[in-house]
Amino acid sequence: MSAHDDDHHHPAPLSPVEVRVRALEELLTEKGLIQEGFIDAVVSAYEKDIGPMNGARVVARAWVDPAYKARLLADGTAAIAELGFGGPEGEHIVVVENTPAVHNVVVCTLCSCYPWPVLGLPPNWYKSPPYRARIVREPRVLLREMGVDLPENVEIRVWDSSAEIRYMVLPERPAGIDGKSEAELAALVTRDAMIGTARL
Amino acid sequence: MTVRVDAAVTAMTGPAAPPRRNGELVFDAPWQGRAFGVAVGLVQRLGLEWKAFQQHLIAEIAAHPAAPYYDCWVAALERLAIESCAATAAELETVRQAVQAQSARR
Repeated sequence: MSAHDDDHHHPAPLSPVEVRVRALEELLTEKGLIQEGFIDAVVSAYEKDIGPMNGARVVARAWVDPAYKARLLADGTAAIAELGFGGPEGEHIVVVENTPAVHNVVVCTLCSCYPWPVLGLPPNWYKSPPYRARIVREPRVLLREMGVDLPENVEIRVWDSSAEIRYMVLPERPAGIDGKSEAELAALVTRDAMIGTARL
Repeated sequence: MTVRVDAAVTAMTGPAAPPRRNGELVFDAPWQGRAFGVAVGLVQRLGLEWKAFQQHLIAEIAAHPAAPYYDCWVAALERLAIESCAATAAELETVRQAVQAQSARR
């Protein structure tokens, strides 16, 4: 639905700046410089832009390139920047690796700090007080409820993100995926796996 | 419709960086999202570099430090549209008046 449709339900007069935006949009659309539907697509793309796909590409690269993986674990921010990702709220990203013996999971107990350049928008549950409290108090129980049933001998490490340090989980590479391209591997990686509330 | 996300847009820092809340771009009103979309679309369509818009944005913010971010954005967008000959100031004014009149009639 366009903003024009909305106005029939909210017939408030437009503010001066709204008039200017509407005029720009109408004129440029009329001239064929802006396509119908394009603006909605832009807003939606940019709201999700720095979405989980960036993180998935980082993970896929680490799976296929051991040297990259070593750099990623040594200095997450720098290795992520190699792929062109970074910026505000991603100044200091620490990547923690899942192994058969260790499962990592990320939380922000204070608020909802999150490495957005690689993971995009935090899901609502990530910001919810129950998740923030329970993942610290009873991670094994909560992870099981979220569908990650870990054997008792797997150690769970909970990482508390802050404004200074944001964590991202490097999931274990699933078995039986040899021969897939890096792009195909990236498509397997989910946001939740990079938070640590899912396994691949 | 596919939109190419331009890293130069999201990488803007300093006063020119768009407001974010926990990483998300924040549009306090729908018109701000529309203005964002028009700028991205125009730059892309004209084959310009994002810098072309960003320079106007930085200049507007510097000239009006107390103005809300997206007001500066709209002013920068008008300048870019005129500078790139996508529209003339007179055309914009005509459409503005039409939009204004339409809005007042409702």
